[in-house]
Amino acid sequence: MTLNKTMTLLLAGAAVTLSASVAMAQTNLRVFVSSQHRPDVWRKAFDMYEAKNTNVKVTIETGGNTSEQQAQYLNTVMTAKDSSLDIMILDVIRPAQYAAAGWTVPFNDVLGGDAASAMKRYLPAYAEANTVDGKVVALPAFADAMFLYYRKDLLEKHGIQPPQTWDELAAAAKKVTEAEKDPNLQGLSFQGKAIEGAVCTFLLPYWSMGKQLVSDGKLSFDKETAVKSLKLWKDFVDQGVAKKNIAEVATDDTRKEFQAGNVLFAVNWSYAWGQFQGAESAVKDKVGVVKLPAVQGGQPASCLGGWEWGVSAYSNNKTEAQKFVQYLSSPEVSEFMAINAALLPQFPEVYTDADVTKAVPWFANAKPVVETAKARPVTPRYNEVSEIIRTTVNGVLAGQSTPEEGATQMEGRLRRVLR
Amino acid sequence: MATASETTLVTTHNESGTKWWTRFLDPSERTLGVLLLMPAALLLTLIIVYPVCRLIWTSFQNLSLTSGVPATFAGLENYSLMLEDPVFWETTWNTVLITLITVPGALLVGLALALMANLPFNVKWPVRLSLLIPWALPLSFAGLIFAWFFHSEYGVVNDVLRRIGIEGVIWFNSANWAFAAICLTIIWKTSSFMALIILAGLQTIPRSLYEAADVDGAGRLRQFFEITLPLLKPAIVVALIFRTITALQTFDIPFTMTRGGPGTSTATLAMYIHQNTVDFLDLGYGSALAVVMFALSMGVTAVYLRMIRAKG
Repeated sequence: MTLNKTMTLLLAGAAVTLSASVAMAQTNLRVFVSSQHRPDVWRKAFDMYEAKNTNVKVTIETGGNTSEQQAQYLNTVMTAKDSSLDIMILDVIRPAQYAAAGWTVPFNDVLGGDAASAMKRYLPAYAEANTVDGKVVALPAFADAMFLYYRKDLLEKHGIQPPQTWDELAAAAKKVTEAEKDPNLQGLSFQGKAIEGAVCTFLLPYWSMGKQLVSDGKLSFDKETAVKSLKLWKDFVDQGVAKKNIAEVATDDTRKEFQAGNVLFAVNWSYAWGQFQGAESAVKDKVGVVKLPAVQGGQPASCLGGWEWGVSAYSNNKTEAQKFVQYLSSPEVSEFMAINAALLPQFPEVYTDADVTKAVPWFANAKPVVETAKARPVTPRYNEVSEIIRTTVNGVLAGQSTPEEGATQMEGRLRRVLR
Repeated sequence: MATASETTLVTTHNESGTKWWTRFLDPSERTLGVLLLMPAALLLTLIIVYPVCRLIWTSFQNLSLTSGVPATFAGLENYSLMLEDPVFWETTWNTVLITLITVPGALLVGLALALMANLPFNVKWPVRLSLLIPWALPLSFAGLIFAWFFHSEYGVVNDVLRRIGIEGVIWFNSANWAFAAICLTIIWKTSSFMALIILAGLQTIPRSLYEAADVDGAGRLRQFFEITLPLLKPAIVVALIFRTITALQTFDIPFTMTRGGPGTSTATLAMYIHQNTVDFLDLGYGSALAVVMFALSMGVTAVYLRMIRAKG
């Protein structure tokens, strides 16, 4: 072997090693984060991971400002088998659907021998929502539930306690709005637009009357209860407790109007709290939050929310992505996000952590609400179920159909989907 | 597999000392024609014929990504499901209604705009520019802008109505008002396209015809109906074909303005296709719906083409 040849070989060898180490040094992970859930704070959590794992670089992608818009985008990326996204945050209703479509990678192997016991550290509802046929299809990012926000200052001024039932709420709203004589003040704001939130709008009183929509995978629709639920909301509109164009109101409209000081009671998710305490808020330090009221004679019920981290089946960096998701779904990150972004923890013990209770004192009261919140039906065809419910709620609130007609339509259409 | 005749052909060529491909070097007119059409034909096959065939094939399959099972042949099941699906009928009816209202609407407004733009102004560009702007605006932008215009609390429409003493309506709370708002927006958006084509047609009409009519003592109105309108007919038919087909495919404006609400009262067939494929991931049923819309567009085009041929 001539010297020249040896040199060439050595150089080639060095080049291979070098490029291999470059490849090791650079795993680029692209993460889709919902824009309404503080991507700026998630970025800080990502930075902490990058600092410890110098071979990983994480880029954030955000888009859409509702759960449906984000799902539409992700559905397009996934049907195209696009490898550009490695990790995506999914609304709690979607992991089952994504797993059925084969779009996510299960975590069972990386969680070690017994995945079920690994999931036990989470709140039970999230262990359940992320497990499909024994496979862990996603890991919880944070918890959520719906709450009743109220204007502490106005209730105190009129000597009213936070309502325990929807009837009490209506009476309190009438009393305060009549006395305040402010034409901009609405009694109650909730979601009537045909968006995902309207599904919860329908289910809150329905659940409160002790009925289930799906039992053992079969539709267990109770028409009479459905009529009562739709009527409860429609009556709020007809009595002037809620505004006339409530069919135009989406989740973030409720948040904005309450934040501007134009709403007495609001049904909303936990994310609203942080915004109400923000610098631009007109209601800073005037907000109370309690569990949602019950229907007279029923149990209070809340809608289970929360978001989950899934790893794309088309990712080129599945192993690194799963490792990163395990970090994101850890008690440390949960605590960080609770303190800095007011996102509810998916771990029971984080609620009582001293730093968390100091930063967000109301989380201590939020825990029982999250623990008893009910999950929307888990089915791969959830999008169809959701569309049926939300368009009906929207139609009834707009006065297009009566609660009776709405419930009949809903039942007929749901039967076709959930046979 | 070479057939006997091909073999003979190659042999004869070889015998005469030329290769088979040499005729492409000095092609006959016919061969040249075929050669030049090839790239376009191949491209069209790839991007139109193949997807359409694939769509029709998918429409005969049970293919839902949420079912977790592989596709199976379903025969006409998707089509029979469609017949029983009230939302299919509602969205189809909405689509037809939008077409029936907005196509003539845009034609009338467009004709008026074109006639105005054709008036002998000294400065023509402001008129032409204002004609172009609605046409150049993306459909979804127009939808989002008008959604704000018609918003019951913050919208400019209700504000103007309030100022002149009329209590506005909650536009998107009622099927009829929401439908009216959508149709108005579509007419606003599409009449400038009509106007542009008609304006082009207007400018081909010789001045001399009007001068002769003046001499003969025909009034303005008579001139319009006897000269302008008949000579504009080809331009109008072309504009109508384009507009009708895009009207049957209406998606962007109702999608951005109402998302089909209240309920499903303003949803169109194109929106229902999008919902079934992108939201519900039911590609089989979505494809069947798309085949129906494709057939509808083809049918309308055929009718128009026949009209042109009969007149032509």
